[in-house]
Amino acid sequence: MDTNTIDYKKERVAYYKVLIGLLLLTAVTFIQPHLFMAESTFLAQMTIAVVKAWLIIMYYMHLKGDKLIGMMGIFSLVIVATFMVIVIGFDVPNFQYGAESHITGPASAGVEHATPAKH
Amino acid sequence: MLITHIIHNTRRRKMSKSYFDETHCAIGHPKSTFMQWMLTVDHKRIGLMYAAVMFTFFFVAVATAFLMRLELFAPGAQFIDGDTFNQAFTLHGVIMIFLFIVPGVPAVLGNIVMPLMIGAKDVSFPRLNWFTFWLYILGALVALASLFTDAGFADTGWTFYAPYSLNTGTNVIFTLVAAFILGMASILTGLNFLVTIHRLRAPGMTFWKMPLFVWGIYATAWIQLLATPVVGITLILAIMEKYFGIGIFDPAKGGDPVLFEHLFWIYSHPAVYLMILPAFGIMSEIIPTFSRREIFGYRSIALSSASIAGIGYLVWGHHLYTSGMADTAKVIFSFLTFFVAIPTGIKFYDWVATMYKGKIILSTPMLWALGTIITFTIGGLTGVTIAMIGVDIHLQDTYYTVAHFHYAMLGGVVFLFFAGLHYWFPLMTGKMYNEKHGKISFYLQFVGFNLLWFPMFIAGYYGMPRRYFDYLPEFQIYHQVSFVGAVVFITGLIYMFVVFFRGWRYGEASGTNPWNATTLEWHLPSSPPPLENHSKVPYVDFEPYEYHHGQPVVKFDYETMKRID
Amino acid sequence: MSHEYIPEIATDRDGNKHEVQGWQDDFYGGKLGFWLFMFTEVLMFGAMFMVLAYYNTLHPQEFIEASASLNRLLGGINTVILLVSALTMGLSLLKMRVGDVKGAKLMIWATILLAIAFLVIKGFEWRAEYNHGIFLLHGEMLPESGMAFGKKLFFGMYFTMTGIHGFHIIIGIGLMIWLLKRINAGKVSPEHHILHWNIALYWDIVHLIWVFVFPYYYMIGAGGVTGGH
Repeated sequence: MDTNTIDYKKERVAYYKVLIGLLLLTAVTFIQPHLFMAESTFLAQMTIAVVKAWLIIMYYMHLKGDKLIGMMGIFSLVIVATFMVIVIGFDVPNFQYGAESHITGPASAGVEHATPAKH
Repeated sequence: MLITHIIHNTRRRKMSKSYFDETHCAIGHPKSTFMQWMLTVDHKRIGLMYAAVMFTFFFVAVATAFLMRLELFAPGAQFIDGDTFNQAFTLHGVIMIFLFIVPGVPAVLGNIVMPLMIGAKDVSFPRLNWFTFWLYILGALVALASLFTDAGFADTGWTFYAPYSLNTGTNVIFTLVAAFILGMASILTGLNFLVTIHRLRAPGMTFWKMPLFVWGIYATAWIQLLATPVVGITLILAIMEKYFGIGIFDPAKGGDPVLFEHLFWIYSHPAVYLMILPAFGIMSEIIPTFSRREIFGYRSIALSSASIAGIGYLVWGHHLYTSGMADTAKVIFSFLTFFVAIPTGIKFYDWVATMYKGKIILSTPMLWALGTIITFTIGGLTGVTIAMIGVDIHLQDTYYTVAHFHYAMLGGVVFLFFAGLHYWFPLMTGKMYNEKHGKISFYLQFVGFNLLWFPMFIAGYYGMPRRYFDYLPEFQIYHQVSFVGAVVFITGLIYMFVVFFRGWRYGEASGTNPWNATTLEWHLPSSPPPLENHSKVPYVDFEPYEYHHGQPVVKFDYETMKRID
Repeated sequence: MSHEYIPEIATDRDGNKHEVQGWQDDFYGGKLGFWLFMFTEVLMFGAMFMVLAYYNTLHPQEFIEASASLNRLLGGINTVILLVSALTMGLSLLKMRVGDVKGAKLMIWATILLAIAFLVIKGFEWRAEYNHGIFLLHGEMLPESGMAFGKKLFFGMYFTMTGIHGFHIIIGIGLMIWLLKRINAGKVSPEHHILHWNIALYWDIVHLIWVFVFPYYYMIGAGGVTGGH
């Protein structure tokens, strides 16, 4: 990593550009439920988060161009994703004891309570 | 014929300094020998200190196990009650797993031997290495402190399953905190080794020229790094649940205890691969040296280490077959568990193929390696048995499982650890132990081990449950045979350590390469190794196991580390 | 280790010289080591997100309602604060690399102030929730209360994750203060700034975690009744 021959102006501009991008995406985060994909807010929000994360990792964390660490990062993320897929994607949806279970059966799942007002 | 006194021995007369005479310290330049050991950053000394502490704890856990065997000699209570028995197997498990076998081979042999094998002067972060050792000591002290509290040591089993661990009055929090601290030590060791292997290999040593022990340590380091945080956070979540009632494991608030099991085993299954991969690495070093041949299938062994590390992350559910997982999930895990046995099988075939048409030398390290091939095969195959869902319904939490993992962990990891200790003993100490007595201790342990554990397969098949304090009289014969095995095995264990102590104190000087092996740790200028390891870092343009007609091909001039063959 | 380190040279059989990488003065090694440490943080928070997603799948409607009751304004302000603090930290590293040590220290101070502001706002949020009867071991979170399972679990994980995240922010503030001390002592400089680099990376990952925590907790209930999934 060449640390003494950096183009200060160019790097600084890059930082600010990414900042604008992140601020814009944050704004989109707020207006998304009222603007688009309202039926699948979760997916929209997570997608925006992933784009923000990619910007941060590539530019703020200087990972653009670093192949080795990038590969290691992808490996780590794949492992997390696999846990999610197996547990949330396979175990939970195919759970066959839902009727007898105390925590998933609808009748015994605790009384619905009014949520506290927004403050 | 066994110990070849080569020309290197004459170097001894120069009275060169070894790593016992001088060291680098983390803080300042202390004069006293004691403080030099307390503050040393030298990977060789740190490895020795790990060994000293770990084996002390090992013997505490062996004593606890012997206590349990004694109690179980006959049905009914002999001299301890059921609650104490629960604490005993928890203590045994916590010490053996968190204090002994997880640090295990990486902490001792990984620290001492791996940097020497790649031609490095130390690990990438020596001060972190020092800090990590003391973190380990802190974790150990926290774990054992709970023995002396009023509430007593945890009685949950080393797996701390919710909801019992949340409700029990015994001192679970000490052990949870201790396990977290020890987990951090494991993570930092893995991190240190990963950077070391990526950055500090000698020039010319590509990944495909590394010795297979280094491959084993590398694969292990990935598991240490990525799997341990999951148990770390699980322990924190368990503490949050027990003391702050966040609800995630408490059915009264909608929490799911099976989620705890998922999270716990997401670490603890990869953890067993973390234990066996360095051990397999040791096997891959010993077999070529004592067959006087190049290893068969270097690439397949290296890649199988990597794939075991990778696939091992995916099989944790086989510990949850009887806990209420969805059937679909069970099938997936069963398939993946069968699949992960394949790379291990590949290794075994490669090792046997290496021995074919080799000139086998049955020194003690080789005896241990060969014994392990037998015991780990049994351990591994019985694991495949219980990977079958239908069979596991019957055998889960019986003595069959207990025998399986002891054959795999004790008969696999620990046996190979012992093999490695015998193999690298001359490297670490500069002395050689008594070969005849070394062999006797092996046979005692091998016979005792099988007497101790094999009857348990049968007992488990007939229904003897694990972690049970009492049992029906029909099982008594198995417990009695096991007890005899335990006595023989422990005798052999103590015998082996006596052999080590006597070897260190009274043994003959071994020279720098008593086994006439090829890898770089045997090409140091003096024995025991000097502080700065190799006199000069060599350029590596050779394979790690080059033999020609039983003799090493590569020869060095030890002043300049240039090849002279 | 400010002693001058001179790397060894290894010569191969053809006479070519190769520089040996030692453990001292290994900038890339320092960077690699810290990235590996950050992957452990990814695994830790990843496991917590998995717990959250697990209960979300079991109680989708209750999660949406609980999320709707969080204060999106304060959460949003915190998001922007952390975003700007990531910029200031990055600028401080840039200035250090270019030689502007004074400017670098100024930017680190700015980051510290923003971090403290984040914690203060989080404190207000938690206090408001406490006053509404929602806090650990308090009011609606007790087992005997009538609040639905899904909401109890949502809030249980909310306090855990924002708490652990806040703990990481406190550690970050500590690290930044230590960094300032090291700069003043001359141990961190434009020539030797791996520590600064790694602490900036640390701050970025603290921000990165919030980038996922915020939408998952605060925004999934934002769309009104349906919220969507």
